[in-house]
Amino acid sequence: MLINSERKEGIRLKKTKSLKTLTTLFAQFFILGLCTFGGGWSIVAQMQKMYVEKEKTLTQEELLDITSVGRSLPGTMIGNVACLYGYRVAGVPGSFACILGMILPPMIILSVITFFYTKFQNNIYVARAMVGVRAAVVPIIGSALATLWKSAFKWKVCYLAALGALLLNLFWNVNCIILVLMGIVFGLVLCELKERKEASNHAAS
Amino acid sequence: MLLLELFWSFAKIGLTSFGGLSMVPLINSEMVGHGWMTSNEVSDIVAIAEMTPGPLGLNCATFAGMRTAGLLGAIAANLGVLFPTLTICLLAAVFFQKFKDGKRMQQIMIGVRPVCMGMILAVMVTMSLSNYVYDSTVSPVAIVIGVLGAIGLYKKLSIPLVLLLSAILGIAFVR
Repeated sequence: MLINSERKEGIRLKKTKSLKTLTTLFAQFFILGLCTFGGGWSIVAQMQKMYVEKEKTLTQEELLDITSVGRSLPGTMIGNVACLYGYRVAGVPGSFACILGMILPPMIILSVITFFYTKFQNNIYVARAMVGVRAAVVPIIGSALATLWKSAFKWKVCYLAALGALLLNLFWNVNCIILVLMGIVFGLVLCELKERKEASNHAAS
Repeated sequence: MLLLELFWSFAKIGLTSFGGLSMVPLINSEMVGHGWMTSNEVSDIVAIAEMTPGPLGLNCATFAGMRTAGLLGAIAANLGVLFPTLTICLLAAVFFQKFKDGKRMQQIMIGVRPVCMGMILAVMVTMSLSNYVYDSTVSPVAIVIGVLGAIGLYKKLSIPLVLLLSAILGIAFVR
């Protein structure tokens, strides 16, 4: 396989190279798709490890932007994140490669489970393993949070926005899209105020 | 015709929901309304979806599609859930890539990034409540596995490895 693809590369360099990018994207998101327990937030942790730390093809800020945009659009979050990241790397074909890679593992697994539906449900070992897996999901999300933390807050006032989002989401069940819209307004107003302050400082001095 | 119905039904679910458990009420009414699943089956599929990789919407789509129309049904239903991703999000990707270095976009992101942190924190809190508490008592084994997981991550173990080790610990020690 490897030799074959190398030989191909010699013949049609450019075409194979873009094909190679697409297959890499597909393979990477296939693995990501296999490990997205717990509603997709753990994928952020994994992308952080893979793309920000290892490959250095993505900055913390960019990952956060992709995540927030993906979260605030309708549809499943990880599908949206895959779509946005794929487009960033390789345009529309990249989007399709990432989405396809991402949805295949759950599709295959669920198809199998549908056949063994009742047996799977009542299997004690499966249940025990899942208690363990679920216990690990929280620290995994936490690790993503910890590494993204620094780049998320430009000024101290921004902590207020995070706190507000946390409380509104937790206690009043405010929808994520509303939270993100509030964040947009917050950012614009904040920057406007800062600019005015700077302008008046300049005028004073 | 059934395929189209599956597609449309799940496209509606995808378009009107923003992921996670907020999808459940809609999934419930669509599935029961069409007679594709009973209410009990819907709660089962929610449990299964939480246990297996992949988002709830996609997992429900596969389950309902497979049961009503086989593999083709699963594909149609999955495409339905992905419909907003393949349309709205793809447009957003184009738009975002073009404007991401603009001044306004930068300002917007200064406000959105901390909100994202807050949302992740909220998810962690709600998840802790369901992942460490079983039958309204805190499970010590789950807490220990969680702490070990955190240590493993701090020591730079890969995430799939941490998940695998946690599963093994769960089989060995959960009673």
